[in-house]
Amino acid sequence: MKQLRETFQELTRFKSALVGLGILAVIVALAIYTVITIPYGKAVRLWRGGEDMWRYNPVNAKPAWINYFTPRKLPQTRVLRSEEHAQMEEETVGKTSRKVTITYQFRYTADLPPSELALVYKPAFKKKRPLVSVTWVTPDGREYTFGRITVKSVSVHGRYWYSISRDQKLVQLFGTQNVEEGLFCRVDDMKRVQKGDHRVVITAYLFEPDASIETELVLYGTVHGLAGTDHLRRDIMVGLLWGTPVALSFGLAAALGTMITSVIIAALGAWFGGYADSLVQRLTEIRMIIPTLPILIMVGMFFSKSIWAILATLLVLNIIESSVKNYRAIFLQEKNAPYIEAARSYGAGHMRIIFRYLIPRVIPWLIPSFVLAVPSYVFLEAALAVLGLGDPVLPTWGKVLSDAYGRGALFQGHYYWVLEPAFMLMVTGFGFTMIGHALDRIFNPRLREI
Amino acid sequence: MIRLARYTFMRAIAIFFALVIGIFLTIVVANMGGYVDKIKKAQVEESISMSVFTNPAYKNLTTEEKRELIDKLVALELERLGLDKPFIRLDRNFLRSRAFKYLIDALTLNLGFAEHIHSTSGSKRVWIIIQERLPYSVLLFTSASLIVFFTSIYVALVLSRRYGSIWDRLSVSLAPLSTAPPWFYGVILILIFAASLRLLPFGGFVSIPPPKNPFAYALSVILHMILPLSAWFISGIFASVYSWRTFFLIYSSEDYVEMARAKGVPGRELERRYILRPTLPPIITSFALMLISAWMGAIITESVFKWPGLGSLYMEAINSFDTPVIVGLTMIYAYLLGITVFVLDFIYALVDPRIKVGGGSAI
Amino acid sequence: MEALLKVEDLKLYFRTTKGVVQAVDGVSFELASHTAMVIVGESGCGKSSLAKAILRLLPRNTHTYTGKIYIDGIDVMSLNDEQFRRQIRWQKISYVAQAAMNALNPVIKVGFQVAEPLLIHRRMRKEEALKKVVEAFQIVGVPTDFVDRYPFELSGGMRQRAVIAMALVTNPKLVILDEPTSALDVLTQANIMNALKRIKEEFELTYILITHDIATSSELAEKAMVMYAGQIVELGNAGHFYLEPLHPYSQKLMASVPTLREDKELDFIPGQPPSLINPPAGCRFAPRCPQRFSICDREPPMVDCGDGRKIKCHLYT
Repeated sequence: MKQLRETFQELTRFKSALVGLGILAVIVALAIYTVITIPYGKAVRLWRGGEDMWRYNPVNAKPAWINYFTPRKLPQTRVLRSEEHAQMEEETVGKTSRKVTITYQFRYTADLPPSELALVYKPAFKKKRPLVSVTWVTPDGREYTFGRITVKSVSVHGRYWYSISRDQKLVQLFGTQNVEEGLFCRVDDMKRVQKGDHRVVITAYLFEPDASIETELVLYGTVHGLAGTDHLRRDIMVGLLWGTPVALSFGLAAALGTMITSVIIAALGAWFGGYADSLVQRLTEIRMIIPTLPILIMVGMFFSKSIWAILATLLVLNIIESSVKNYRAIFLQEKNAPYIEAARSYGAGHMRIIFRYLIPRVIPWLIPSFVLAVPSYVFLEAALAVLGLGDPVLPTWGKVLSDAYGRGALFQGHYYWVLEPAFMLMVTGFGFTMIGHALDRIFNPRLREI
Repeated sequence: MIRLARYTFMRAIAIFFALVIGIFLTIVVANMGGYVDKIKKAQVEESISMSVFTNPAYKNLTTEEKRELIDKLVALELERLGLDKPFIRLDRNFLRSRAFKYLIDALTLNLGFAEHIHSTSGSKRVWIIIQERLPYSVLLFTSASLIVFFTSIYVALVLSRRYGSIWDRLSVSLAPLSTAPPWFYGVILILIFAASLRLLPFGGFVSIPPPKNPFAYALSVILHMILPLSAWFISGIFASVYSWRTFFLIYSSEDYVEMARAKGVPGRELERRYILRPTLPPIITSFALMLISAWMGAIITESVFKWPGLGSLYMEAINSFDTPVIVGLTMIYAYLLGITVFVLDFIYALVDPRIKVGGGSAI
Repeated sequence: MEALLKVEDLKLYFRTTKGVVQAVDGVSFELASHTAMVIVGESGCGKSSLAKAILRLLPRNTHTYTGKIYIDGIDVMSLNDEQFRRQIRWQKISYVAQAAMNALNPVIKVGFQVAEPLLIHRRMRKEEALKKVVEAFQIVGVPTDFVDRYPFELSGGMRQRAVIAMALVTNPKLVILDEPTSALDVLTQANIMNALKRIKEEFELTYILITHDIATSSELAEKAMVMYAGQIVELGNAGHFYLEPLHPYSQKLMASVPTLREDKELDFIPGQPPSLINPPAGCRFAPRCPQRFSICDREPPMVDCGDGRKIKCHLYT
């Protein structure tokens, strides 16, 4: 324990190590926070999306804080609920029918039109479907009537979504412009938004005495949240957050498992010498020729993409790994140390010597390699995901990156989609490497002389 | 000389042996869950059905009879291929088991036919497809490695002379930048230079349509190589410089270096003969390991840049689920790794006179 | 006769994480030609650092390097590194390092390394130089076919001899040997000592022999210097030192050496040498000196006791 404290003190001499430790502390805190607030089951459900989980999010929205850096004011998503933001009037029309008029009036001041427009109908009825239609009045007085449909109570939550952006009539009307531009931009200068008050009137005919209807007008923003959204409207933050514990545990588990087995085998070979040593060396050579990533690719393709399968394969493959050579060199040196000779002379058995004396002595040397190995496994998992062989249910950084790349994020200007997971990968890698290099300078005796 | 020849020979044998075992393991893994067998069976059934249905000699048979014929022929073919028996026969008949047959196929580079992909010459033979793509990978890969290698040795030597200087400390603190693999920087570089600044192409080998003039063609290729080489360079250079510089520093505090200085050996010669030469063995070792991990990283790097080499072939094969190509590629990678280890072992022996005959791999 | 080597107030300090180590702290002495001087002292007393200071083999963390060194009349400290390299290294002084088994480059043939000074300083051609190497090998007793071997192929003793051959090959005037035999077995030690003696006579060399093994060096030594905590405490003829040491430290040293015929009770010196970082004021040996008295907390002067003998001790003022 005292050694730990001493090591820590020495570590603080290096500025880079302090930065690395800081980064690591943040990452670990993030991981813990994530696992607590978004437990595994919930994360998987969130990421799978489906139904209406993410429906209120815009597609491919940039992170909201971009607004601090751009001169133009980018809109966030606004959900206007009829109960709060609109005026409702009812009129009886005939024996059992009523006409409900919901009038929205809102001011739009952003510099860009919404990315999408939708209406949510929340009807309550037994058999006879309500009939609705929408009239939109722009600030400069243009009126558009559209969306004359009957409302079906389709979704589980009793919501019926109607996409204004894809309304046939409006699409044809606005031609080259999209619907949002048509409704929100100036007529004279189609690039600029006409700021002002919009009025949206929804007329609904209810055919049952106790039928009712509520609506929501959704103006999708172009920015959302801390990390933006992806093509499935998912908040990328979920992917970034959950990627943290996944990356950490995968990296640590792989590095640790690899190191433990390789060290033990190197020790056995070096200690017993002769045939055992030659065997270990031959096995190491064989291992060097087996291409890791291609094997993992094959496993992912033919067997299972689950992260457990990949981890298990990796651990089995890495029972012997190329660093066995380095460990063996160290063990060969230590083998002749006087304290080992002393242990043998009092009759200690082979296993005892190896596990009680040889290996522990070498642990300080191993720590830097361990720390430095972790990021390579983190990137390995990301690499598999980028290739399309990532875990299908888990949100990981590699997955976000591969989604981004697969959807041509770079061509469409969704740079944030690529940069965010890249940033997380980079920073994590950096943290470990900085600490690892500093530890190397502390523990490697040859480097201490310098 | 003789010692060198003997050592080389022993290494060749050892590596070949390792290769055989490695490829065998790969085959076993590839057939995990009987997947490859299933594919093969489906292929057989399809081709036999096709041939029976289109064969005029069988035109007059009823569908029933055709079915029976197909089943019979399929069973015969399966038996011929050994697909009716277990994959590995752990008895006297091991040599007749399919696993062994696949092993021989793999070793002789008889890698079968692709399912979906074909070469630009139209062939579906996996080996031909791979052959076509291999030179592109080698071109990119070799130039990148050589550039990184020689640059980092030169820079590291210079840095080791100026220990404690601002450049030296800078190189130490920048070393972590190499944690990110080449494809990572590739993505960033594309973002900056291709998407934003539109200075360099997004990817590919040469512009489309390729220029007729050979000079313009070469120029176009070079232009397309700039980003991938840069990505590789950025990823590799920092750790390389850091580790070589550390080697040089460690080795320059060796006793024999001090002795040489005492003898009056002038600066340049001292560096060359007393620092560089003895450090070459561990430098070569660490270069070998870097190469090997670079081979792996190449898979994604090439995909990111759509460079028409083995790496993007991998990507295509994964996307189209072309099993024979994937398995074939894995074999070829094993070969490439084996060759790399062998060549570097050889260079190591040239450089370090302490290698004894019959000794293991120096790498 | 002008002394071959004259050292005046030589100082060599190192910078370490714990402070500045004053390894060589104001050393002055003269050495005449054809003399073998032995420098004795405990580990860490600064004798190796003194050798390095004379040879200008300074480490990276050197803090102070001042003083005057005259070799064969040349003011060596005023030469820049390149001049020093060309005129002094292996031309005037050569060096046999401590643990010479590591002093040879593992990847270059032994013959070449021994020939190297000739190639550099005398501009000989390789064939000529190798002939000289063969001669040198014969003198030190290394089989001549070892010229084509690599260092790892030679035993420790052979490597030592090869390094000695290397130090002789340009016929320098002064050879500094730092513990030339401490890593070898007794028989080889004796052989090498004899060889050194023979070579000195034959080639009229001057030696500085650094050792902590007083007994072995007594054969060769004509002059003796005792160092303690970075300073010279006794300097004079070897005979005087071995038979009648004057400084309390020298006396203690001699008392700790077993003699062959006498039944002697071995003495030892309790305590430890002082730290060379901020050494204490006054006599540095005083804490351990059995003869200390009140004035010893002041820096003792270097007293000339006649007959070329100098003692740094208050007892002799």
